[in-house]
Amino acid sequence: MIAPGKSHRPAAHETTTSTVLKVRDLGVDAVGPDGTDPIVSSFDLDLAPGETVGIVGESGSGKSLTARAIMGLLPGSLVARGQVEYGGRNLLELSEREWSHVRGREIGFVLQDPFTMLNPVFRCGRIIEESLIRDGRRRPPRSERRAEVLRRLAEVGLTDPSVADRYSFQLSGGMRQRVAVAAALARDPKILIADEPTTALDVTTQKEMLTLLRGVQKARGMSLVLITHDLRVAFAMCDRIHVMYGGSLIEVAPAADLESRPLHPYAQGLLLSEPSLDRRVVELPSIPGSVPKAREVVDCCAFATRCEWVADTCRQGRPPLLEVGRLRRSACVRLPEIGAAMDAKRARIDVAEPPTSEARSERPLIEIRDLRKEFRIGKRTVTALDGVSLSVNQGESVAIVGESGSGKTTLARTLLGLERCTSGDICIDGVPAHDWSKLSAADRRRLRGTVQMVFQDPYASLNPMRSIGSTLSEAIRSHDRGVKDTAGGVADLLKTVGLPPAYAQRKPAALSGGERQRVAIARALAVDPRLLVCDEPVSALDVSVRAQIVNLFATLRRERGVGFIFITHDLSMLRQITERVCIMHRGRLVESGPVDRILDHPTDPYTVKLLQSIPRSGAAWIDAPVTTEARRTPAGGGRRTGGRDLMGEVCDGGDTHGAA
Amino acid sequence: MSAIVPQLGDLGKSTRRRSKRLPWTVLVCLVIVAGVVLMTVFGAALAPQDPAAQHLTEVLAPPGSGHWLGTDELGRDVFSRLIAGARTAFVGPLVVTIGSMLIGNLLGLWSGYKGGAVDAIVMRWVDFMWALPGLLIIVVVAGAFGGGYWMAVALLLVLTIPFDTRIIRGATLEQATLPYVEAARALGLSNRRIMLLHIWPNLSATAVANAFLTFAGAIVALSGLSFLGFGVDPGSPDWGRMLSDGTNLLFENPAAALASGAMIVATAVSMNIIGDWLYESLSSRGGSK
Repeated sequence: MIAPGKSHRPAAHETTTSTVLKVRDLGVDAVGPDGTDPIVSSFDLDLAPGETVGIVGESGSGKSLTARAIMGLLPGSLVARGQVEYGGRNLLELSEREWSHVRGREIGFVLQDPFTMLNPVFRCGRIIEESLIRDGRRRPPRSERRAEVLRRLAEVGLTDPSVADRYSFQLSGGMRQRVAVAAALARDPKILIADEPTTALDVTTQKEMLTLLRGVQKARGMSLVLITHDLRVAFAMCDRIHVMYGGSLIEVAPAADLESRPLHPYAQGLLLSEPSLDRRVVELPSIPGSVPKAREVVDCCAFATRCEWVADTCRQGRPPLLEVGRLRRSACVRLPEIGAAMDAKRARIDVAEPPTSEARSERPLIEIRDLRKEFRIGKRTVTALDGVSLSVNQGESVAIVGESGSGKTTLARTLLGLERCTSGDICIDGVPAHDWSKLSAADRRRLRGTVQMVFQDPYASLNPMRSIGSTLSEAIRSHDRGVKDTAGGVADLLKTVGLPPAYAQRKPAALSGGERQRVAIARALAVDPRLLVCDEPVSALDVSVRAQIVNLFATLRRERGVGFIFITHDLSMLRQITERVCIMHRGRLVESGPVDRILDHPTDPYTVKLLQSIPRSGAAWIDAPVTTEARRTPAGGGRRTGGRDLMGEVCDGGDTHGAA
Repeated sequence: MSAIVPQLGDLGKSTRRRSKRLPWTVLVCLVIVAGVVLMTVFGAALAPQDPAAQHLTEVLAPPGSGHWLGTDELGRDVFSRLIAGARTAFVGPLVVTIGSMLIGNLLGLWSGYKGGAVDAIVMRWVDFMWALPGLLIIVVVAGAFGGGYWMAVALLLVLTIPFDTRIIRGATLEQATLPYVEAARALGLSNRRIMLLHIWPNLSATAVANAFLTFAGAIVALSGLSFLGFGVDPGSPDWGRMLSDGTNLLFENPAAALASGAMIVATAVSMNIIGDWLYESLSSRGGSK
């Protein structure tokens, strides 16, 4: 079913003669006073002209360092070894002077963070112009350069000439990323390496960005190396995918093959822990544990610590990447033995679960009526919440979905009393709570014990100076001052969130991201709340760890009857965690209803646009235009261009990207 | 999960080992400061001779076996006076440091965490204090109300507080927006608890390092005031005053004239280096980000 959509792509990998970039046995070592630590080892890559190759991996898998090694941009303490063959030369042997002729002109590079990669003291036109200047030739006249800059900006979809005169901080994230792409393409490179080019962007902007990359690539016949942690993005964009884990390749396969039948337990686990948008499963299959550091898994299969099919052979040396089929390679030594078991597991998961109709109380726990919140920034007033009304019943799970700047986080913070609303009513469990500072101490305590919050960034939401035990026991005491000995309570909480009691002695720095998020959830549970407000609870976590946390939420709901409000921009998890969805856009609730109805039959144009922006495999998704009616309405339009809209864009950006 | 536990244990051990290894510069500085502290505590009791005893027959003796650093113009043993003089040189800066750390940290935390009117008032006060010419104020006030050592210390303390306040306030602003502070607020913890038990430990590295810098500055400042005649009473042993008295004799008995200056410099530099080192080791306590 995918093949027809992909037929237009060059089947480059079949003609092995034409390879623009050939990487053999590339390694990256950290050189320190205590010897060298391998961070990336034996990385291979062949890139044909016009081909798109994806490098997929989680944080710490070494994918970004690999890209930097290919570009010769490793930080000082790291050293690359191996072969990077381009134009008959090994790039790793080039001098810094020779590199400057390769970078930009032969290989372009786009970085992840559109907020820091453009120099804020230059206007965008100058940034591109600077890349255009070719050494050895005289600079063309000013008007010519200007025309060229505008042409380049138009190529990346920025048709408004005023963009060239703006500074990067006056543009939205998507526009900055476009300028960065234009700058990377300015010298017409043959290869573009894009390192997580869409991770920091909203879903709708992500789709536009990917469409743009694909369009430019096709028009120029350029090769693209796309580095991403998102398998769905890789499936949508790439011809072939390299999966990295713990610093080495574990599977290389054509995208369609990898999607239908992964041949490495890690690749399969990653695939299965990405829930499907169109069906609900009983429990998300999750990979236990967390991503190891490369130096901890030097002499064994990197996935051995987390693999359910692990055997002694997996721990005897690093398994090599072996040919396992046409154009496919896998690093699993046990593949012949476990292949059938893997298929069986996949088939089991593929069975859809009918929507649950859990019995729950019809009594509203939270009622929000006509809530408004305005922020004053200098002389301007920005409306973050514009008449939001919402009610949440006891034990219910509601998702509030929106892009950055939609006001969803402000809504959560106002509900928790961390922000005071401008007008409107909030009623929590019968207590009017629109202004927490006016509540009596007893009421305030009661509300704190009713509603608690889990924050997005587990790396910042725990006090780094306090041990896990003292954080949790303080939370217990905040609820019940009479408790003398909290050790038992702390151990119980840790057990509830699936951590061993010994973790109470540790500081947050000794925990992985997923473990920290568990502790943060335990802290919120310490006061025995009836509702947890979770602000993007999994978006800062590794993909393979997300499913664990989502499952933990499901367990908490089942066993403790806790209700949830999920604040998220990720539509894919919705069906697994909620039964009701509210879509927010520019401070308003544009649509709300049962999750199945919203996802299957959306009525609001903005919801339609959001749903269309979720990456799907195959070129059909990339090339499909976003619905026109969504464009025309004030709610959905205006993302792309237009001077008047820019100011709105600017204030959009600041809200949620800080922690991303 | 179990496979990760021993690795994390190793990690903890290696960081502990790293922080235990003391650079030799810090070790030397610690020895110097320890020596000064001993002299402060025991004072004249450690001195080989009575620091006030005048040997008019041995005026301006060069360093030798009888007087290790020679004698001054009244025939007093310079080495003994150096030991006895450590007390005023050390206690005053200590009072300034602890006082400004306490008051400055509390004001800074309060101002940075509360924001709004509190912040505006405190910060305008800080701006005002910064705009004052410090030395001039001390000279004027000490001149009007009579000088004396403790007056100088008190004035120095008042002039130092704004510096601490500003630094801690800036660091608090940075911490106050972090989710762990919000999480503490969402739990309903009191503001006092959040400021002192949650935010301050994360600033402690800055606060402590700053205190050591304050100390180094204060020892030089107080010695300077003594040098100018606003510090200790004439005749009592004090490094600053000894330096001041010794200037006339710089070419006749350089060792006696410069010894106290060398002590001031050595103590101040040592405190600076220890402060730097403490900052490094304290700020890695929470682990790397």
